[in-house]
Amino acid sequence: MFDARARARFTRNRSAVAGTAIVAALVLFALVGPLLASHGPLESDFAHGVGPDKMPVGPSAGFPLGADRIFRDVFARLAVAGRLSLLIAVSATLIASAIGAVVGIVAGYYEGKRFARVVSVDGILMRLVDVILAFPFLLLVMAIGAALDRTSAVTIFVILGVTGWLSIARVLRAKTMQVRSLDYVVASRALGQPVGWVMLKHILPNVAGPLVVSATVLVAQMIVADSVLSYLGVGIAPPTPTWGRMLFEGQDYYAAAPWLVAAPATAILLAVWGFNMLGEGLRDALDPHEI
Amino acid sequence: MRSILTRSSPIVLAIAAIALLAAPLGCDRALPSPISSAHGEDDTPRRGGTLHLAAFADLRGGLDPTGYLDGLSLGPIHLLFAGLVEYDEHAHVVPDLADHWDVDDGGRTYRFALRTGVTMQDDAELTADDVKRSAERALHPATPNPNASYFTNIAGYEAYSTGNAEHLAGVVVEGRYVVAFHLTKPDSTFPYLLAMHTLRPTCRSAGDRYSDSWLPCGAGPFKLPPGGWRRGTSLRLVRHEGYFRPGRPYLDAVEWTYNMTALAQRVRFERGELDLARELTDADAGRFMLDQRWKPLGIVEADTAIYGESMNTRMAPFDNVEIRRAVAAAIDREHQHLVQPSRMSVLTQALPASLADDDPSFTGQRYDYPAALEHMRRAGYPYDPVTGTGGWPHPIEYILYDPGLDVLTAQLVQQDLAKIGLRLHLKTMSYAAFLTLQERPSASAMSPGNWMLDYPDPSSIFDPLFTTGAIAPEGSFNTAFFSSPRLDDLIARAHLEMDQTVRKVLYREANAIVCDEAPWAFTFGHHTFDVRQPYLHGFVPHPVWPLDVSGAWVDRAGDALERALGPGLR
Repeated sequence: MFDARARARFTRNRSAVAGTAIVAALVLFALVGPLLASHGPLESDFAHGVGPDKMPVGPSAGFPLGADRIFRDVFARLAVAGRLSLLIAVSATLIASAIGAVVGIVAGYYEGKRFARVVSVDGILMRLVDVILAFPFLLLVMAIGAALDRTSAVTIFVILGVTGWLSIARVLRAKTMQVRSLDYVVASRALGQPVGWVMLKHILPNVAGPLVVSATVLVAQMIVADSVLSYLGVGIAPPTPTWGRMLFEGQDYYAAAPWLVAAPATAILLAVWGFNMLGEGLRDALDPHEI
Repeated sequence: MRSILTRSSPIVLAIAAIALLAAPLGCDRALPSPISSAHGEDDTPRRGGTLHLAAFADLRGGLDPTGYLDGLSLGPIHLLFAGLVEYDEHAHVVPDLADHWDVDDGGRTYRFALRTGVTMQDDAELTADDVKRSAERALHPATPNPNASYFTNIAGYEAYSTGNAEHLAGVVVEGRYVVAFHLTKPDSTFPYLLAMHTLRPTCRSAGDRYSDSWLPCGAGPFKLPPGGWRRGTSLRLVRHEGYFRPGRPYLDAVEWTYNMTALAQRVRFERGELDLARELTDADAGRFMLDQRWKPLGIVEADTAIYGESMNTRMAPFDNVEIRRAVAAAIDREHQHLVQPSRMSVLTQALPASLADDDPSFTGQRYDYPAALEHMRRAGYPYDPVTGTGGWPHPIEYILYDPGLDVLTAQLVQQDLAKIGLRLHLKTMSYAAFLTLQERPSASAMSPGNWMLDYPDPSSIFDPLFTTGAIAPEGSFNTAFFSSPRLDDLIARAHLEMDQTVRKVLYREANAIVCDEAPWAFTFGHHTFDVRQPYLHGFVPHPVWPLDVSGAWVDRAGDALERALGPGLR
């Protein structure tokens, strides 16, 4: 899938390289940041975090990105929130990719076929996609979250994962419809290979490129979704930091303490930007015309 | 789900990033100028205009004075319903719908002579029958009245509230305009209780029994027009032309918009779309107070609310008084105060500053970390702060609503209690869900408590929050479910006592019990900081009620032009 020619195309693409660098930097920041911080992410520092006007202190040596409304280190919280946001986004994307791949490949493989001249597997699956798409995404996620215990990271990424697979299913269905009529797939079926084997052995590897591209872009969307949920107060409960929650808590102070908004907003922007550029770079590198 | 940033253009996104970073800095601009009054400083009242207000949440309590009232519903209810008595600007109880009253029978009978010619909002005349009917409606067992426990002293209440009597015997109509309240025992707080909204006269359309479908109607200065209340969105009250005080109110209407964030309220206030900003963030409040143009328009009100941490005394670990004492000693109130310094004051006892015991020997609850550790040891759960071992072995669920001030203060409490071996698990929820759970006996171990004074007397704190009689299976205001026979006895005696000096001593003792047994760890008193536009005149903070605009008027330059051309052209 990612052969030498694809690698060369990828490395020649400055946008793709920039995206990779941003993502790598964010991952590094999330991993190493908390170790570099002089404060714990949940720990208020009333001795040094309070300014003379009783407001949180701005960026300084002790607080590289300032202090938040209860005088915690924004740098430490941003890094820990990054861990959580990236973990949730990647985990949710893995779930969504798995579901989307299964639904997309099965639907694409059986497109145009009816069992007992009535039941269309493709029709059923795609109408299911249409129905779920008809629900406002955030409303759906919030409704599921309200019904479950929505305060854990696991719950959040499972919810995002089981509701976020639709675009991948559609992309892979279209790709599978192309691949299923290729000679080696037809030959495999003619040799009597089981359908599951054909899908796994011959179709999946040939739709892996679009799957990886879609998944990479989906990570960015999951970061936004997670941030929005936290911003709306239906994400992970405090005091655990998330970028969306930090944005929400800082918004009232955006004029008096702009770092409270700027730090998480920039992190979200960079993450979305980085994953989108990476995804687009992968798409260009894995251009189906040159597979 | 569509990608927000699809075909990324590095240049565009770089600009976006820079703009995002720069925008907040750019927003640290000077506040806009106040919007001037059409007639300058001329303080001659003028009729007309609409007062625009907003609130962060929706009305949970509805608009029936007999039902559940929260801080938000109290504002409009006060404008809709006038009472027999009311508070003056010094928080003294004075006649309102009543012309005067007499106290007989050693404090057991309060007899009210009504004003004649008072017109209700349905144009009917107020009579003593309306007072009795409204009282019976409010105290009927089928009425979801959480304040009913205030009125158990009215003769015949028990028989009536249990369905064994058709009428409330203690409320007697003695003439078309004379009504008497007979009490089973003397009660010095009864005028205060009548000043609350619970028994305020309702229109005959309210009927004899509570109903959800009733269009609220009373004798107050404003009335609710049909369709004026869009639940979850807005409320509009219009002037009651038949209001008994000649010339009042001045405003044509008062409008609230609900579910508006503090940030949106500030922006809309600056644009003149709200006339009075009441829920500014602390950062914004500070900016207005520091701006010389706005400073004279700021209004700092007295503490009328107390905040604390309510501990359910029926649930572990707070069924252990030593754990509760440990909590009370572990919370650093000076730190809490820093969350909102312009609106908070440190609170170490049950009473807010306006009612607080000024006896210097009264210690109340203080931050004392070694003492907190000692209480944990006495409770049987010693905690070693060096090794971080010991303490209560299970996480403690702490419910709170989000968003709200409590989210921040709860995180500080969580930090403080972790230092004595109590690990709080914060569980956020909507305001409505929070109140429902908090007011059930076995639903939550710990939650943020707050209480706004119903009337300016210590009984307004102790009766609803800490007496056994205030415990209910649903909608219990005593959210700690605290029961102390000694406290109940003191409160009962204070009710009987007509001598204010003796009452003060009794309440001091009650205060000491509550501080020591700690159903709440008291944390801070809270007051409102308002900013008005200069064209809003006659708005004087009420010493008791959250909003009284019966004497306010709007005199805004350009209103006529706006009415002609639309608000966007201002």
